[in-house]
Amino acid sequence: MSPNKPVGILKKLLLRNTNQRRLISAWVALCIGCTLLLVSVMMWSVFQDLLQGKSSNDSLGSTFLTISKKVDDAAMANKEHAQFRAQDIKQIKSAPQVQDVGMLCPANFKVSASIGSGPMAFYTLLFLEAAPDRFMDQMPHSWQWKEGDNTLPIILSRDFLNMYNYVFAPSQGLPLLSEQTVKALGFTLTMGEGPNAKNYRAQVEGFSDRISSVLVPQSFIDFGNNKFAPQVPLSISRVMIKVADPSDKAFTSFLEKNNYSTNAEQLRFSKMRSIVDIVSGATGALALLLMGIGALVFVLFIELTMSKAQASVQLLLQIGYSPKKLSRFLMAKYIPIMLSALSVAVLIAVSIQYIASQKLGSLQLNIAPLPSLFVWCAAACSGLVLLVQISYSIRKAIKS
Amino acid sequence: MMTLSIEQLVPIPLKEKLNTRTSDVWLKNIKASSSEYISIQAPSGTGKTTLIHFLYGLRTDFEGNISWNNKDLNQFSAEEKAVLRATEVSVIFQDMRLFPELSAWENLELKRSITDTISPEEASEWMQQLGIGDKKNARAQTLSYGEQQRLAIIRALLQPFSFLLMDEPFSHLDNKNTALAASLIAQIVQRNNAGLLLADLDENNFFPYHKTYML
Repeated sequence: MSPNKPVGILKKLLLRNTNQRRLISAWVALCIGCTLLLVSVMMWSVFQDLLQGKSSNDSLGSTFLTISKKVDDAAMANKEHAQFRAQDIKQIKSAPQVQDVGMLCPANFKVSASIGSGPMAFYTLLFLEAAPDRFMDQMPHSWQWKEGDNTLPIILSRDFLNMYNYVFAPSQGLPLLSEQTVKALGFTLTMGEGPNAKNYRAQVEGFSDRISSVLVPQSFIDFGNNKFAPQVPLSISRVMIKVADPSDKAFTSFLEKNNYSTNAEQLRFSKMRSIVDIVSGATGALALLLMGIGALVFVLFIELTMSKAQASVQLLLQIGYSPKKLSRFLMAKYIPIMLSALSVAVLIAVSIQYIASQKLGSLQLNIAPLPSLFVWCAAACSGLVLLVQISYSIRKAIKS
Repeated sequence: MMTLSIEQLVPIPLKEKLNTRTSDVWLKNIKASSSEYISIQAPSGTGKTTLIHFLYGLRTDFEGNISWNNKDLNQFSAEEKAVLRATEVSVIFQDMRLFPELSAWENLELKRSITDTISPEEASEWMQQLGIGDKKNARAQTLSYGEQQRLAIIRALLQPFSFLLMDEPFSHLDNKNTALAASLIAQIVQRNNAGLLLADLDENNFFPYHKTYML
């Protein structure tokens, strides 16, 4: 821009005192502050997703637990002792830390699975259960069944497949099966027995880390229990609960007191969740502080430059320059600098999330490849706050 | 037509002093229109520069009222003052108030571009007319007081105005340059159908004044 053009002259007059080294330092401080803030929001958001989301990330300590009554001698003698009654469910709902309760509904009829024919034929008795959708960690698109459908979607516990591949298959000389292969294999499920028996074509649609069972849609269990075992009353022996903090002492003592059992390892492991919560919270507070310092450094840089140009600003106002025009001119100079720092911070956050999603994917921790809405909101809020702060500093410098 | 109205104006710092002497301006009511040429004669220390600064809205430490077009100057917002200064009232400061680090031409261009009503060619011609045509690229701080004063005069003319305020505008000029500058000012004031108010130490005949006040 030619220095003889009015904008060039204004630049020469008002920004001549801009110390390039200070400008770079202020930019770097702002960029670091923004990056830390966005990364900490990103971490918080990822942890929230991992720990409380519906995705299959229970390896970090799930807040979804399956509880059942301990099978003791009384239960051996009377099955009803192992079943949950309505008042048990009510009590669990009001237990400490419990946020939601759902029942695992078993199929009360006989089920058998078979695949192939001749010498390679495979046959086994099987059980089926249904869990409420909100408790599922896997929800394939095909996860639905209605009366008249001959194909039944199934979600299998990943533990079952692991036990087959690592224990059963080697000992029996059977081939190992990948998840893809199992999904590709269709098999026949026979419901009921005798003349009322009915065959369905079953297809494994997914694998669950959360629920150790063979899951089918609730609509199928309801239909099957009604059709194949209408006389058998519904008995619930496993209940799923969602808890805020499974490691909470009040909660664990509630389980012990009522003789409920769950996966102890899950409880122990979930302590990590509390630690992660605290760490991400502390990181967020620190990042907010650093962001504040970064913003302060940048704003002080602007105020310092403006104070050096104070005499020129006053003289410009005296010869008829409008405060708004001067303000717009200065905003046009500083806002792009601020936006560039924020953009670089966003770029870094996006890159970190993408790389993390790639690395964690191999650990069965599924996080989105792009930052969540919280991160974009944090970036937008940071931009807005900085915009207001810079605008205020400039207007203050022009007024004074 | 623009009007200037001064009512019972008195600078607070000079209030005590003014009780001991008389003035045609302080503590009086004066009305002027943009067709009038007014001379203010003011010996040193009587508040000449203070009056110009009050009228231009640079200082507010006074009692009484100053109104431009019947609007109290104290009621003008910063934006309204900017419009007043850019399009209605221009000023030649006694202390010139140029940007020392800018060239002579940049000083003019900065002012000219606010309204862009005078062409760069005309501004250049006025520099020639006042004998500073060869100083375009010289920094203002390197110019002599006389050259700076001529530059300040040209700058004040690079906008539309209804009133031109002048505070000892020729104090650093010899008779020849004073005549040239006064002629240019008269020409541009006439072109704008504007009035002028000149404050100086002594009686003068730079312009055909309609009114003369003793400060």
